[in-house]
Amino acid sequence: MSKALCFKSVRIFAAGKLSSVQDFYTVDGRWSKDPVAGAEVVDVAGSWILPGLFALGVDFQEPIRDDIYTVKDGIEAMRRGGFSSAVYESPANPLDDIRKLKAMQDDCGKGGLEFHFLGALSVGNDGKALAEMLELSSGGVVGFGDGNHLPSSLRFLRFALEYAGMTGLRCFFQPSERSLMGKGCVHEGHYADTIGMKGIPSQAETIAVHQILELALWLQVPVHLKQLSCAESLNLVRNARARGVDVTCDVSIYHLLLDDACLLNLDTHTHLIPPLRTATDREALWQGLADGTVQAISCQHTPVLPQDKEVNFEEAMPGAVSLEIAFAALLPEAEKRFTNGISDLLRLLVDGPASILGLPARHLEPEVDCPFIVFKSDAEHVVTTQTFAGDVHNSPLLGSTLNGRVLGTCFDGMWRWNL
Amino acid sequence: MSFLQIKHLLGLRDVCKEDLRTILDNARQFREILDRPVKKVPSLRGVTVVNLFFENSTRTRISFELAEKRLSADSVNFTSSSSSLTKGESLLDTLKNIEAMKIDLVVVRHKGTGVPAFLARHSNAIIVNAGDGANEHPTQALLDMFTMEQRLGSLEGRVVTIVGDVRHSRVARSNIWGLTTLGAKVRLCGPATLMPRNREFFDAVGVEVISDVHKALDGADAVIALRLQKERQEDSLLPTLREYRNFFGVTKEALEHAKPEVLIMHPGPINRGVEIDSNVADGPNSVILDQVTNGVAVRMAVMYLLSGGHADE
Repeated sequence: MSKALCFKSVRIFAAGKLSSVQDFYTVDGRWSKDPVAGAEVVDVAGSWILPGLFALGVDFQEPIRDDIYTVKDGIEAMRRGGFSSAVYESPANPLDDIRKLKAMQDDCGKGGLEFHFLGALSVGNDGKALAEMLELSSGGVVGFGDGNHLPSSLRFLRFALEYAGMTGLRCFFQPSERSLMGKGCVHEGHYADTIGMKGIPSQAETIAVHQILELALWLQVPVHLKQLSCAESLNLVRNARARGVDVTCDVSIYHLLLDDACLLNLDTHTHLIPPLRTATDREALWQGLADGTVQAISCQHTPVLPQDKEVNFEEAMPGAVSLEIAFAALLPEAEKRFTNGISDLLRLLVDGPASILGLPARHLEPEVDCPFIVFKSDAEHVVTTQTFAGDVHNSPLLGSTLNGRVLGTCFDGMWRWNL
Repeated sequence: MSFLQIKHLLGLRDVCKEDLRTILDNARQFREILDRPVKKVPSLRGVTVVNLFFENSTRTRISFELAEKRLSADSVNFTSSSSSLTKGESLLDTLKNIEAMKIDLVVVRHKGTGVPAFLARHSNAIIVNAGDGANEHPTQALLDMFTMEQRLGSLEGRVVTIVGDVRHSRVARSNIWGLTTLGAKVRLCGPATLMPRNREFFDAVGVEVISDVHKALDGADAVIALRLQKERQEDSLLPTLREYRNFFGVTKEALEHAKPEVLIMHPGPINRGVEIDSNVADGPNSVILDQVTNGVAVRMAVMYLLSGGHADE
């Protein structure tokens, strides 16, 4: 039996902009242009109806660390944050053969959300033996990557790119030259030197970016650079693109919201890899988003247990969760920096991720199947441990006040209020 | 005095169509001799041949030795493991010493590209390349072409698909040059990591590179499955032999896209279940053993013509 809903007095994001206030009718999750008699009223007056968001950089650490997080937790986090789609990659449990891929597809397929998967480039992400990429491709992966590892041997990287190139799929890399990173855990700059912490220079990223881009140009393989954090990396991307490299890139939410000035607080939630860079870098990342150098904002949702964060900074496990708060946290900054804040932010959280993977972006249109979310832009609230799904809350924004929140989601035709 | 335009057989890249025809036509007559009760002819009586095999070889070395014996040549064998090279002698010194023993023809196999050409520059003997590095293996390609012509007639316009590790294959390279000279269309198929990357010279002779084995076999008249060296996996060029077989193996299923009478060829030795399935290697379209037999005739023709004779003399 069909289920009709009426979201009264809302603004709908369609055709690239927010509409005037109107009623939004749906039948089984599809937008009905005409009013539907007897539709159940959902009281979200003053909210916005937005397309479901698309998360890049999602790792639920299944199935090896159920004590930290599960797929169920991850799906709950996505729902709370309004993400209906995600690219799953698993540094903890590399999808390096077809059986692992099928198992993850089965696990993630139960939540009514849309998951895409990155296959591994190498067995165990160890950068020594190629994964069965042709078989993984026929199994449905949308790209390849070795999680946060970059093969240490350029010769291996060359072969991996050549082999992956047969599939036409994009190869994802987090550019970091390990030998230059050493034991560093923060950006090597004024703040690191002020507090005497081992630093990771920007060059650890730019050198790796340069190597990847040179190989991509030579071998003509599409590549994606994850979580770029330095201004100079974006210049390298711009130059490479001008030379004919098919390169896309993303920047992560926290590199847009924070910079290394926050190191003085010694909050282990700001221990991220790549590290938070300088304010100048942060501005350059926003500029890269505005001028199209960067295609997407990634979540890099990395759950870490409190016990692994409640240690001194250098020993803390790097990583942060972000799905639940990403949109609300980014919106004020986007509105401040972009001409069309909401529109540009959705471009970077819906269209961008899809285009990187060669997938069609899903937009709200009458009678079209498209997951949507209800976002209230003036719902002030404090980020607490309860904001996050599962037993983790490792976010640098814990304790901050956000102005908006996702009130509910309609994914796979099912409306659900967020708790 | 050679009856060919070439003085040595170093490779097929620079061998003209006329020479190829002369060799293949003469090989046909030697092939007939091999079916006679008495298979020996006196054509190279008094000619001394040394087989210099710096690399391990079974079938090519035996094939050359048999060809020499059938032609009544005096032949001696040299293997690097039992030679003075292991005592530090240079290649050139070895050659000069052997030449001092009045050798007429040298058959050489070496892991180094260009060794036969090097010997040809420094020797008065006739040099026949029995395989140098990943460069050329001309007599293998000649016997491949001979076998194809036996079944298909003229190779003009015929489609020959070479599947496998082309990047490291001297067999593939010699076949590319020889087949295209005779007017055949050559397609290469294999993982990108096993394909030559810089293909201007191959493009110039119309070679196509197709990574999908089904498309590469579409309408093919002959398919040459190359031996896959298992070291390629250790060298990170391949994930697994299983994936290689599933995506690039010459299997019954893959051959459904080729012509029904497609010739199945392999230079040997075969890795069954890797580059070719047993039911294909042993199937009705397989000419793999014909290749081995024809190899002797082709090598007889090569040595005979380079030494200055015709088989029908």
